[in-house]
Amino acid sequence: MAHEVVRHNLPLFDEEGRAAATDDLAGRDRHFLPDFPGEDPYAAGHRTCAGCGPAIQYRWVLKAAGHDSVLAGPTGCMYVANSTYLCTPYTVPWAHTPIASGGSFTSGMAAGYEAMIRKGRHPGPYPNIIVMAGDGSASDIGLGSMSGALYRNHDALFICYDNECYANTGIQTSPTTPYAGMTTFTPFGKAIPEGKKLAAKNLAKMMAEGHPHCYVATTTVGYPTDLMNKTRKGLNHVGAAFLHCYTPCQKGWVYQTSMTVELGRRVVEAGLFPVWEYDPQQREYRYFHPPVQRPVTDYLAMQGRFGHMLPEHVAALQRAANRNWQDMGMDVPASLREGEDPAHHERLSEETYSMPLNRGVGA
Amino acid sequence: MTTAHVQGAQPAVPLAPARLARGIRTPDGERFLAGLAGQKMRLNGCAAAAYAALYANVDVIAAYPIRPYTAIMMNLSQFIADGILDAEYIHADGEHAQLSAAFGAGSCGARAYTGSSGVGVTYAYEMYSIISGARIPVQMAIADRTLDPPGDFGSEHTDALCTRDMGWLLGWAATPQEVFDKSLIAYAIGEDPRVLLPQMVAQDGYFVSHIAGEVEMPSADQVDAYLPPYQLPFALDPRRPVSHGPQIHPEQGPPLQLERARAMEDAIPVIRRKTDEFATAFGRQYPHLVEEYLLDDAEIALVISGGHAVTCRAAIRRLREQGIKIGMVRLLWIRPFPSDDLRAALQAVKAVGVVETNLGLGGASYGGILSLDVTTALYQAEYERPLVTSFMAGLGGETVPVAEFDWMAGKLGQALQRGRVEKATHWVGFEH
Repeated sequence: MAHEVVRHNLPLFDEEGRAAATDDLAGRDRHFLPDFPGEDPYAAGHRTCAGCGPAIQYRWVLKAAGHDSVLAGPTGCMYVANSTYLCTPYTVPWAHTPIASGGSFTSGMAAGYEAMIRKGRHPGPYPNIIVMAGDGSASDIGLGSMSGALYRNHDALFICYDNECYANTGIQTSPTTPYAGMTTFTPFGKAIPEGKKLAAKNLAKMMAEGHPHCYVATTTVGYPTDLMNKTRKGLNHVGAAFLHCYTPCQKGWVYQTSMTVELGRRVVEAGLFPVWEYDPQQREYRYFHPPVQRPVTDYLAMQGRFGHMLPEHVAALQRAANRNWQDMGMDVPASLREGEDPAHHERLSEETYSMPLNRGVGA
Repeated sequence: MTTAHVQGAQPAVPLAPARLARGIRTPDGERFLAGLAGQKMRLNGCAAAAYAALYANVDVIAAYPIRPYTAIMMNLSQFIADGILDAEYIHADGEHAQLSAAFGAGSCGARAYTGSSGVGVTYAYEMYSIISGARIPVQMAIADRTLDPPGDFGSEHTDALCTRDMGWLLGWAATPQEVFDKSLIAYAIGEDPRVLLPQMVAQDGYFVSHIAGEVEMPSADQVDAYLPPYQLPFALDPRRPVSHGPQIHPEQGPPLQLERARAMEDAIPVIRRKTDEFATAFGRQYPHLVEEYLLDDAEIALVISGGHAVTCRAAIRRLREQGIKIGMVRLLWIRPFPSDDLRAALQAVKAVGVVETNLGLGGASYGGILSLDVTTALYQAEYERPLVTSFMAGLGGETVPVAEFDWMAGKLGQALQRGRVEKATHWVGFEH
């Protein structure tokens, strides 16, 4: 008789969990979340850039998943920066896949474990099967492969770490690069002052609408508990789950390296990256309503990739953000509506902008 | 740069805990296979391949439809629907995804099976080098189909031959029985820890894939004894973590490529051994790498692969009745290329004609692909080399009738008389 396939059920972390601080060797406060697992299946010692958003996400995802996990990584910056022959940051099994194979290779891993456990060839529970694909892989060349895997409902977690460009190859535009985002394939110039003319593809909505049986969620590196809980919910969901995670790229976006987590919050507070969860049972979206609503300029001004934008370009992005607020069921304050008018930004450009660096506790 | 021979495929970490358990078959599967044992069935090549995968108790099947191989996957889906085979059946979103899924399953230690035809084979092209480089012994069935353009269902070997340098074991079966047997033999070779290479078991579309022949059905125990459970030494297993496929620095490239190249050479003795073990277990002895047909006193010979060899044998018997000393060599494996065996088979032959059922546009012979390997192998011979020419025949899935083999024999006879070949490539049917 076939063996039963036993699956993990990982407990969730308390959203209002404890925070703690300790002094480091230099006497600085080091904040940490004491309720999180101490284990790091994504170990230190890799070659990602300072302030790398995807590296933060990788660490939190694998912390949440734990050691009974099998990981795949399609080609992307997190392939090249992490794996060097004879050296690896992964203490869980990891395999590189071709850039278009994130979904399909992971389908094979999931199918392999289903069959091997059923047929008595692998003892123990069904492992956490995870793929972390960049936005180029997940939303562009490997979109069909990813969609095929979600459609077939393999019991695995399919993650897009979204740094809004092909970063590995030197910052080229991907379908998730925002409007006006400068990349080496969308430079700005006299003829094309906005740089990128197209609006971004809404990958996560496409995945949720197109595969309504799947658990689908979005999150950012600004919210560690949310990211780790959505990882666990995706893993606990029996069937395919898709997690779209916003992960800033300091090299591609040109910002101060210490601002990665701050950007992960501001993009949400600016209404440019709605954080939500799609419940396949109820077939409904649950939106996170951030406690602060900001003008998009609070977000754009932090990044060099937006430095060329003219008032009409900023106004266009504010219009997009305001539509997002409405989609999320939130009111659009009058101050943000004013930003839809390019003249509003003409006036602002006369003022000096100072970036609030310290958000303080609880903000 | 000087590099040392890296012995075999030694994993850098201790072996993962064994998965020696034979995969459980379903009760219906056990009953079904018990009923088949000792029977002779009339199966076409597609069904024969599917039955072989059933007997091999594959864990994961990755399917995508394209003629003519599709019937292999249709047969397998029915086995699963009937409860005879317990395997995960992945409806892939294309051939690239098929190969990727088989790769993922094989990397975890599952026995994976896939297949394709024609442009489907080339659509997946990225995956071939990657899978062989990762040393994951998945099996791919190919029923040949002409590459586009024009749209054509007929058999031409170009599809599988396109992948010949990608590190896969590659060989053609000429009958449904041979398809069945070769599928099992190929798994046994590829999964051998001395080899660990993916395998392509090719058959001519329609001529073999869709024409029924008699196939002897073994018992499940016979197959299980011949083909032990798949045991990848470096599976993606949380009990013993490994990293697959990292980035390398350029100076790390040569030894890794040398190791993969040597794996092909090292496969040859394993092919011999597994072919002989198969004969012991099942009572059918195949030639190790090349079939020698009526070569003993032959002055001229045709070198061929695939299903057209059946017609070729008949043509040769007729020519022999007319007193023409002709023989045939059939290549059972194209990769690794059987250079030694081919040289040994042709040592007394004076003129050789390679039958090309493929297209190698603009190559050294301005004809096909096989003659390049055949010529290179013969160039290294320590005996007086035979004349070599090639014949473009059966393109687009056209039959190669006996009359065309007669014509080829005539061209070889003329070459023998003149002491030189007329040209490197003859287009059969376009010349006098």
